[in-house]
Amino acid sequence: MASKKPPEAGEILQGTLDMLILRTLMMGPAHGHTIAQVIEHTSENALEVEQGSLYPALHRLEDRGWLHSEWGVSENNRRAKFYRLTAKGRKELSAAAGRWRKMTRAIGLILGDSIASRGE
Amino acid sequence: MTIRRFMYRRRKDEDLAEEIQSHLAHEQDVNAARGLPPQEARRQARLRFGNPRATRERVFRYRSFPFIEDVWRDLRFALRSLARTPGFTAIALLVIAVGIGVNTAVFSVIDAVLLKPLTYPDPQALVQLENTSSHGPYPVASIPNYNIWQQQSGIFQQVAAYDLGGAGMNLTGGDHPEQLLASHVTGGYFALFGAAVVAGRTFTAAEDSPNGGRVAVLSYGLWKRHFGGDPKIVGSTIQLDGQPWLVIGVIGRNFVTDMPADVWVPFQFDLTSHEMVHGFFVTARLKPGITAAAANAQLSLAAEQFRRTYGSNAMETGGSFRVVPLQEFMIGDTRFPLMVLLGAVGFVLLIACANVANLLLARASIRKRELATRAALGAGRGQIIRQLLTESLALSLVGGLLGSLMGFAGLRLLLSMGPSAIPRIGESGSAVVLDLRILLFTVGVSMLTGIVFGLVPAISASLPNLATSLNENSSRSGLGFRHGKIRSILVITEMALALVLVIGAALLIRTFLKLQDVNPGFTTHNVLTATMSISGSRFQTTAPVAQIVRDGRERLMAIPGVLDAGASNGLPLDSGFGMIFDILGRAKGETPFTGGAGFYSISWSYFSTFEIPLLRGRAFTEQDDGAAPGVVIINQAMARQYWPKGDPLKDRIQIGAGVAGPAFAEPPRQVVGVVGDTRDDGVDRDPDPRMFIPIAQMPDAETALNSRGAPLYWIVRSRVSPYSLRASIEAALREASGGLPIAHVRTMAEVEVRNTARQRFNMLLLTVFGAAGLMMAAIGVYGVMSYSVQQRTQELGVRMALGAQASNLRNMVIGQGMILAGAGVALGIGAAFWLTRLLASFLFGVKAWDPVAFIVTPLLLSAVALLAVWIPAKRATRVDPMTALRLE
Repeated sequence: MASKKPPEAGEILQGTLDMLILRTLMMGPAHGHTIAQVIEHTSENALEVEQGSLYPALHRLEDRGWLHSEWGVSENNRRAKFYRLTAKGRKELSAAAGRWRKMTRAIGLILGDSIASRGE
Repeated sequence: MTIRRFMYRRRKDEDLAEEIQSHLAHEQDVNAARGLPPQEARRQARLRFGNPRATRERVFRYRSFPFIEDVWRDLRFALRSLARTPGFTAIALLVIAVGIGVNTAVFSVIDAVLLKPLTYPDPQALVQLENTSSHGPYPVASIPNYNIWQQQSGIFQQVAAYDLGGAGMNLTGGDHPEQLLASHVTGGYFALFGAAVVAGRTFTAAEDSPNGGRVAVLSYGLWKRHFGGDPKIVGSTIQLDGQPWLVIGVIGRNFVTDMPADVWVPFQFDLTSHEMVHGFFVTARLKPGITAAAANAQLSLAAEQFRRTYGSNAMETGGSFRVVPLQEFMIGDTRFPLMVLLGAVGFVLLIACANVANLLLARASIRKRELATRAALGAGRGQIIRQLLTESLALSLVGGLLGSLMGFAGLRLLLSMGPSAIPRIGESGSAVVLDLRILLFTVGVSMLTGIVFGLVPAISASLPNLATSLNENSSRSGLGFRHGKIRSILVITEMALALVLVIGAALLIRTFLKLQDVNPGFTTHNVLTATMSISGSRFQTTAPVAQIVRDGRERLMAIPGVLDAGASNGLPLDSGFGMIFDILGRAKGETPFTGGAGFYSISWSYFSTFEIPLLRGRAFTEQDDGAAPGVVIINQAMARQYWPKGDPLKDRIQIGAGVAGPAFAEPPRQVVGVVGDTRDDGVDRDPDPRMFIPIAQMPDAETALNSRGAPLYWIVRSRVSPYSLRASIEAALREASGGLPIAHVRTMAEVEVRNTARQRFNMLLLTVFGAAGLMMAAIGVYGVMSYSVQQRTQELGVRMALGAQASNLRNMVIGQGMILAGAGVALGIGAAFWLTRLLASFLFGVKAWDPVAFIVTPLLLSAVALLAVWIPAKRATRVDPMTALRLE
């Protein structure tokens, strides 16, 4: 269900979760829990991964061929499913990151301008 | 989107469940590491993750086609719920099957006759050439017609003439001589129709010229049947009418004509001929880019040229030429009757829709609680409508498929039962086939039907008042006002539609009975006819023809049981030849001749064999032969039309009027008798003028023309069933003719049946449709009233407890039911008055507002309605007040 209220701070913008997952896996294979923790820690807890969205996202990325998964044993000696970035995934990450930078720059320019003009 | 998404859904779901467990375990570890007790660690981990089921569902749904799966679920549910109420399902399926079945049947005929293009290459460019006159167009052409037409190279790519092979040819030389359907064609015939040649070739221009030799092209059927498909037949000679003919080719089996032919021989027209005998058809192929209108403009110029070339007598003032598209020509006047039938089956389908809608409404109100529960559990209005529509679509599709199989089987049965007189339909309707087009039509109509009858009940059922529906302790809450009103309107509509159909059927039945009552003017009892082809060179003069007629009669009369026998060049009820004539000594006025009449050559015993009454003068005798003075007998219609006051027996007439060409170098003939009319153009037409001359008195040229154009018809009247004499008749005629076979052996009763075949076909179909409509309307009234009685058990109980008599209750229910029926009948009578005008052209001896049909039919319908209401009314009187009240 799509909610109509604006996203609160800390919620991850729609579409960016995929990119964050891909970016996290650049550092090597990881399982779902680690991915969530890494995103939260790296963003200095500014971003909170809604865990109900994480797994659908992982499965979607895997179906697209950007991730590859296999069961293994975690650092805690527990069974866990590890995700690894594929070559296609790497390509997608750089493309997504490029799109993201372009967009944030564009938004920054607009916001910056308006703030600047108000500041005068 | 990749296909991977939809594969192994169950396994992936289990995998995900395990993954979530693993996630929770890791989270719990983290919490434990923060120093929380194990219980709390697990609780917080769960809290943080939320509902694992929701996540799984989200992924599961992402891996599905939601719409298709919802429909699939609805469909399974619909089938389960239909299977739970087998009675309802069976009735609904039956009604839908009848409604769609009749539509499939009629559409498959319309498709074969009207819609499918002709099987010839580029069929749109094919046109039929016709003469036009003040009496309307006529498609038979003469050699001068053909000569002018084939010169119009500005508009026509090809022009070809062909006859229908009336005279036939005798294939002799084997043990069993066989009478063949032999069609005369011009050289370009096969190329015009794109007929494929499987062996040899077709006629050259030289072979199609006078004295072009005896060459023949065989049909595929004859080649296989008689010559075993031997390719060496090409180049060899066969015996036709006792003469050697060179076979030059065989035509492929895909070449289909409305009038079948076994063998084709060239016309060998003498294009310089001025003979105005009209005896064949002409088809042309328009040049690319030439429209029919442009061709007609050019043809009116050609008509001027025709007058200049052949004289102003050759064509009446105002006459001209024209083309009509070949397909339209072949369809003829069949289009309108078929459209009327389509309208009738449309009515049947509407009645079926109203009926099923009614059943569904009743069902929906019984299922009120189910639907309310579903709504309370969160099903949206759209979902409930979708669910109910799925049910109706499942019903209509299954019913439609059942129905079209039934309808198609029924149609085949009907078409195989007898001649249908429908063009393009093939032998016993073989051109009507169950193909993809028919199936698509059925599926389309079924879907449409399902939506039409399903939508109203679905929408009205999707608006339940949740609170009241759920609170009711039983399904006995009664029919809401809105439901009741919709159902009443549906029943009234059904009754009205059924009445229109039944009145239409009644009119056609009355027409058919009137046709049966018409005195055809001759006896059909124990009269057998057969044809003998006399197209061979032996019969190009009158004497040998008169000889075999005389010998044949003698031998036939010698057969025990034979009462009378004769011969002619045409039969009553079959359309024959026509010819112009002059009354000698009478002023002609504007036209070059006095008038025209049907023209028959007969043996002297013709009238006595058919028991055609002699009204005045004398019949022919054996003495009226070639040596005797010329005589003619006319029918009453001719006497009335041309001697309204005078005495025909005092006059002499000149047949051919001196302008019909050399074949009609007729002597003046004394009118010696007037005979009763026979209905030659069909029993529903007023008799036309006819003139009869003795076979023995025909000029030789006329005999030659006649022998080429028509077979000799033998007529035998017997004391016993004529078929029992068939073998002796065949033997007698073979002896008399020196070995000629006979064919087309049939009784006059059969000829008469064929003559009324189209009326019978229309009547049968409309009667079936009317009966189906009546039955469904009765089911509809019965359904509404018995449901209403069931719903009102309480009310009836209270009324009874308060002292109402059983008869009061019964009359109340009957009264309410009959009000619906009466409203439907009133509406129906109005609609029928308006619609039966369309039937006027099918009727004979009955007016479109025939009082019998308009009084008896509504009474019949009301009687059926009364019967349908009676049963629930009886039930109402059997309500036990105590039980009814205790239900509260």
